[in-house]
Amino acid sequence: MSGGHLSKDFFELIKSIGECKSKQEEDKILAAEVATLRQRFTEQLSPKKMKEAVVRMMYAEMLGHNADFGHIHAVNMSQQTNLIAKRVGYLASTVCLHSGFSLPYLPHISPISPLKSTSHVEVCATLVAIPKLVNLETLPALMDPVCALLDHPSEVVRKKAVMALHRFCQLQPSSAADLSEKLRRVLCDKDPAVMGASLYILHEGAEADPKAHKDLVPSYVSILKQITEHRLPSSFDYHRTPAPWIQIKLLKLMATLGTADQRASEGMYEVLLDVLRRADTGINIGYAIIYEAVRTITAIFPNIQLLETAASHISRFVSSDNHNLKYLGIKALAGVVQVNQKYALEHQLVVVDCLEDPDETLKRKTLDLLYRMTNAGNVVFVVDKLISHLRETSDDAFRASLTERITQLAERYAPDNSWFIRTMNGVRLRARRRARAAGRGPQLDAADCRGVRRGRRGGHGAPPLRRNDLLLDARPADPPRHPRLRHLLGARGVRLPHWRRSGARAGDV
Amino acid sequence: MGIHFVLLISRQGKVRLTKWYSAMPSKERARAVREVSAVVLSRQQKQCNFLEYKDKKIIYKRYASLYFLACVDEEDNELIVLETIHHFVEVLDRYFGNVCELDLIFNFHKAYHILDELLIAGELQEPSKKAILRVTAAQDALMEGSGDSKVSDSKYEI
Repeated sequence: MSGGHLSKDFFELIKSIGECKSKQEEDKILAAEVATLRQRFTEQLSPKKMKEAVVRMMYAEMLGHNADFGHIHAVNMSQQTNLIAKRVGYLASTVCLHSGFSLPYLPHISPISPLKSTSHVEVCATLVAIPKLVNLETLPALMDPVCALLDHPSEVVRKKAVMALHRFCQLQPSSAADLSEKLRRVLCDKDPAVMGASLYILHEGAEADPKAHKDLVPSYVSILKQITEHRLPSSFDYHRTPAPWIQIKLLKLMATLGTADQRASEGMYEVLLDVLRRADTGINIGYAIIYEAVRTITAIFPNIQLLETAASHISRFVSSDNHNLKYLGIKALAGVVQVNQKYALEHQLVVVDCLEDPDETLKRKTLDLLYRMTNAGNVVFVVDKLISHLRETSDDAFRASLTERITQLAERYAPDNSWFIRTMNGVRLRARRRARAAGRGPQLDAADCRGVRRGRRGGHGAPPLRRNDLLLDARPADPPRHPRLRHLLGARGVRLPHWRRSGARAGDV
Repeated sequence: MGIHFVLLISRQGKVRLTKWYSAMPSKERARAVREVSAVVLSRQQKQCNFLEYKDKKIIYKRYASLYFLACVDEEDNELIVLETIHHFVEVLDRYFGNVCELDLIFNFHKAYHILDELLIAGELQEPSKKAILRVTAAQDALMEGSGDSKVSDSKYEI
């Protein structure tokens, strides 16, 4: 491995960082280290010393201290022919740089020739570094060499080549179309790990263009069947569950391709029942598969038997003592009520309990469920709950989404005009009080602005009388950066800057 | 899609390892690390292993004195990410033999290599522990064979 030999000096450094009692002490030690490194890099160093210096620089960067004078050395090391130096160079480069910011170093990085090397390790090291360092400019040059590696005899190389291609497709979605032919061949690769790796790109392709991928549904179904029947080598078993990550990827793919398509969905029903049955092992990984299968069932064309089975699993999750499972049960319930509201009715008590749970994550997910379960009958109750949470929370992003939802529900299901006006005023009042309490002017928090504006766009038409009241539409948005940044500082108990206290009143609400 | 970053912090909030899979300027990174650490360290035992952060999710698990965190998108399957973290820990355990926090402190570069075998571009690439360990052992042998003597792995006196 790189740096298999740690010098005593480095050892002492790590030891002292490990023993220091406060962040300031750590910062002091690291600042001294960075200064030493800066000096060191100007000297002429032997390869071994250079390697150590690069690793030390990586350590400092990892702990958050900037050492960009050293980046160029890391890049240079990665271009050397010595394998160890290359690996260290690549590792350090991937830790310190990333595609958005490696522009000045581009001319120095030429990963193409290492890709053609005969040494597996060299090819692999390069393939691992590429996803981090590639960007739109270097992509075209790298596409062909990496594609050529899809036929490499070593499965480790093939697999890494597929993952690198995945990154290319993320950067440049148009390249996915050209690659689809090659990827279909990879799907039939004799090594299951390589096949599994191709599923990531195929999924993104399926999301972008479902029609082109519908013909692969029978292949996915058959692969899933083989996996659940334990026909893959046992090294793919994780706690006796066969290839769980690949199973989940296939389930996600099927969910994407089966939505609103009856014919495609029908081919999946049998294997889904099978997966649910076999995954019921009582351990976490089994639950992960069950949860994903339930999500798939709620996404594809509905089938009564499958939905009933899914609902029974959801009941078990929701009534379990394990918080994680409860959370997933609530989440899955939110998915299934979109198909049919009746499934949620039997769990009303549990849902109300979860609302009062001290666990913030659980509370938020339950609010989400309530939002999806709203109809004209329970809108008043649900909106009340949402408003009370809006009152308590201090998280900006959450407030924005709550405000958006309240607005949408109010517009869609408002029982009468006066209730609507009371509700919307209540929301704005709360936002104003909160802004005042935080020391700002009486203008609305930008997050709430966004929330209300989004809600209004999403809601159905409102009578003209109400539109005039909402002056928010007329006002330009506050630049979102400042309020958000300040709020975070405020939340951590740091004094807010004075300039905002007397702040510009951009109009009365 | 996929994991945005992996973070390892100690109970006191010290960073042991960070690996980023999406492009973020360093100021933002530092901020994300601070915020996420603060929230995770204040969670209690019985609560969920998942929490929402801005428009993403954090999945975390505590192993002895170390917190392992992964940041993923809204629509990802939380349990499977939890299992990915567990998988990583199991591989580390096999590699170091009863891994403890000290092993990761002094051999962070090896932990990085193992993480690279496990995840590329934020997605899991290797579900088989044996394969990862085999590749890592081969690379170790290569390093050793070239004359670099291995660091004394005898437990460090602190």
